[in-house]
Amino acid sequence: MTPSPEGRPQETDMELINRWRAGDGRAATRLVGRHSQALARFAASAGEREGIEELVQDTFVRAFASLDSFRGASTLRTWLFTIERRLMLDRRRAERRSRETVPVEETDHVSEYGALDGLIAEEAQERVRKSLDALSPTQREVFTLRVQQGLSYKEIAEVVGSTEGAARVHYHNAIKTVKEFLKDE
Amino acid sequence: MNKCTDSDVQEMLPDLLHRALAEGERLRVEEHLATCESCQEDLDVLRTVKSAAVFAPSIDVDRVVRQIPPYRTIVPAVERPARTRVVSWLVAASLAIVVLGGGSVLLQSNGSPASNSPRYQQLPNRIAKAPEATKPGSTEPVVVPMAVVQPSIAPHPHALALAADADGLSDGSLVQLMNDMDGFDALPGSELDPVISVDSGDSL
Ligand SMILES: [Zn+2]
Repeated sequence: MTPSPEGRPQETDMELINRWRAGDGRAATRLVGRHSQALARFAASAGEREGIEELVQDTFVRAFASLDSFRGASTLRTWLFTIERRLMLDRRRAERRSRETVPVEETDHVSEYGALDGLIAEEAQERVRKSLDALSPTQREVFTLRVQQGLSYKEIAEVVGSTEGAARVHYHNAIKTVKEFLKDE
Repeated sequence: MNKCTDSDVQEMLPDLLHRALAEGERLRVEEHLATCESCQEDLDVLRTVKSAAVFAPSIDVDRVVRQIPPYRTIVPAVERPARTRVVSWLVAASLAIVVLGGGSVLLQSNGSPASNSPRYQQLPNRIAKAPEATKPGSTEPVVVPMAVVQPSIAPHPHALALAADADGLSDGSLVQLMNDMDGFDALPGSELDPVISVDSGDSL
């Protein structure tokens, strides 16, 4: 147990998982509450525009369905990112396939995301988003996992299925690109 | 602007933002930052990128939790809503045969593919003996002695259906069991599959 900001001992993820296994539904609420926003941020940073809540939901449903395979070798959050990333890749593959078979007009990413964005977006956020758009998909994942989520290179390597060394290289290239972009804007 | 050569510090900058550095490392990074313009710029960029992460929508935790089935009833495979009620009656019927019939039950196998499905493999060991009666490709009727179907009565209705301790069932408890099985509609259908296999092996 680690102390919470209020000084109350805070249960670890593993303790909550065990409580959930023992039938305590509130433990699931605590776990989802603890990690859902990070998953939403990761999805948004990775360029997802629509259905982020569904994505987060699917991630948890899958994770809870296979919790027995989670041994705690990595943190729960890293493991959740890994699951979410696979779902995002599946989703993109499916979208690509449907674009190939049914020609659709270019969508303009307004929708729930655009509306939300309109409310809270500031110029800086827009600039950051554009700068992230300038990165390759892997650079973008590595960079946002490192900067926005604070993951170590080892954890990032696990999430993106790569090596620590490769993650480092992606990070350095990414910060160079983003820095240039933000300077030029 | 200087070109920074301390790659260790450069790599620790995100950890500084997330307050994930040990005291010694933090002091070292801060000391370096005081004189390195390049790292100061990097840190500014990282701060901007980190604070921009708020553009994710906020997630309704309760709604997510409602989608998570309780432990052990979770099955990632397909849903089969309409069949469960039929299945529970078949289960009840087969149990009744077992109870009334005495020493053994004749099971007709016609090679149901259900015994190979991934869902099937998630079942508890207590019914693991049943697949002998449902080997794919086998057309021989298989006699399963009463002793094979003989785990103890479980207190949970769900477990009770799987355990199927026919020996111990009085008329009252059989009625109770059938009532319990009516409630199975709310459960994922997949855990009932093996009971189908024991019962008839056909493709219900
Ligand atoms: Zn420096």
